[in-house]
Amino acid sequence: MEWLFLVVSVVAVVAAGMMLTRQNAVHSALFLIVNFGCVAFLYLMLDAPFLAMVQVTVYTGAIMVLFLFVIMLLGAETTTDTSGRMRWLGLAGSLVAIALLMIFAFPIASDMLHDEAVERGEARASLRLINAVPGGDAQLFRVQEMGFEMPLADEVAASVALAGLDDSSAGASIESVRYNDERAGSRDYSELPAGDYTLAATVSDGSYESGEVFSATVSLAAESAHTVLLYQNADGLLEYALLEDNINAPSVGTMRLTLVNGLAGAQVSLVDVGQYTTIRSLCEDAACSSLLPHRVMIDQLPLGDQISIELDEGDYNLAFVDQDDNVLRILAGYQAERGVIETRVLAREPGPPGSQPAYRAAVYHAFALPAFGSPEAVGQVLFIDYVLPVMLVGVLLLVALIGVIVLARPDALAQAERRRINRRRRVNRPLVSVIAQQTGADVLSGEYMPKLTPGDEPAD
Amino acid sequence: MNAIGTEPYIILSMVLFLMGALGVLIRRNAILLFMSVELMLNSANLALVAFAREWGHTDGHVFVFFVMTVAAAEVAIGLALIVNIFRERQSINIDDLQQMHG
Repeated sequence: MEWLFLVVSVVAVVAAGMMLTRQNAVHSALFLIVNFGCVAFLYLMLDAPFLAMVQVTVYTGAIMVLFLFVIMLLGAETTTDTSGRMRWLGLAGSLVAIALLMIFAFPIASDMLHDEAVERGEARASLRLINAVPGGDAQLFRVQEMGFEMPLADEVAASVALAGLDDSSAGASIESVRYNDERAGSRDYSELPAGDYTLAATVSDGSYESGEVFSATVSLAAESAHTVLLYQNADGLLEYALLEDNINAPSVGTMRLTLVNGLAGAQVSLVDVGQYTTIRSLCEDAACSSLLPHRVMIDQLPLGDQISIELDEGDYNLAFVDQDDNVLRILAGYQAERGVIETRVLAREPGPPGSQPAYRAAVYHAFALPAFGSPEAVGQVLFIDYVLPVMLVGVLLLVALIGVIVLARPDALAQAERRRINRRRRVNRPLVSVIAQQTGADVLSGEYMPKLTPGDEPAD
Repeated sequence: MNAIGTEPYIILSMVLFLMGALGVLIRRNAILLFMSVELMLNSANLALVAFAREWGHTDGHVFVFFVMTVAAAEVAIGLALIVNIFRERQSINIDDLQQMHG
């Protein structure tokens, strides 16, 4: 990559130098176009594809063509550049340029760009909690003292930790999630500055004060998204998993479906069963045991894990199946919309012990982050955060448009004068012919007749 | 792709800006003067985009967008003025435009 940058920047600088030194203005304009093209290439290397395209269309396409038009219109390709009288200005200009160079080079030379004291912009990380523990409220805490560990599922340590956590100075709750929320478990992502965190989670239901507490130190990178998944393992113990989420936009024309397994003792598969009628008929038989023909999309996802697939736009009939081919849940007529990021968490419905188990596939959505520098990203900032400046720039362009129209009218005053004279002539002409008729004089050569040939207009 | 840091871009932007400034100072042809101003605006844009990537903010891109818009308006007005001046005096050498002794 370095050589590419080197080549492009050398071409850019050489083109700028040629532009400065050519006597012919057309050549200068062409070299400036080369320079702008190089800058557009550098924009591409700087992850700004939208600006690169705007640079090509607006700068090299529109503005430079306007320059070339004006040069050719004026026939001013080789206008004398130095009048001799002001030749000393070249020397003065060089001196000023050297002074500017020294001013600009000072921060780079003195390594100011690497000053560690300069704070980076706030890099944000996203975190959410998904609670797949039936019938429990989950809370996720951020513990601020580092190196404070506790064994998992230890009641004594848990109560101590809770006492500490309830003190607002020790930790701040970032999420509190009820399993029975309408959205079945989770809120949206919480945003927090990137960095290392010690997280702790509690689960409790109404009957007892505190459930088990987990604590772990995790490192949340900038622009990343994580899910803390709380679930019950096959022995009824609470466990957690820290899952890294992909919140970048899915591929064009697809949606991203993430399956999270929070179901104790099951390895969940996601299958596409084709026609819904076949499921219906199959499931009215005993236990929906054979789902054929079907297409397996996710095979045997273990507990506490997640996997993502990209679905093409369209309608699907999906079914969640466990390792023994029991159908847990059916999503009939599931619509895959492009650009959607959806997470489905498979969990057991809370119910009285011994009842027929029911399962749910709770749904969570995430907003896709547009890629940095893409038209979506620039457009979002432009039309959400900078609406007023966009309006003002529009007004500025309108004013410039009107200004150009006014300036471009060829000597408007002289035109008005000519129009006035023409109007007077139109009035006079019939009068003259009337007089000529009455006197019987020859109209075209009579002495009463003022000369009316078009070329003989009064001087402006 | 991100092997190159921000610094080379800033240095390149500085060099281009200086060349543009030099052009404004030493060239007497009004059209070339305008082109040099465009070069300076472009080098500033390059610095903005480089810093936008450094900080991971899209706001720099939005600023570049505004600079381009203002440059387009400026070029339109400026070239219209140059055309009018050329009609008046048959010359676009800015040294000839000294009736105000500026």
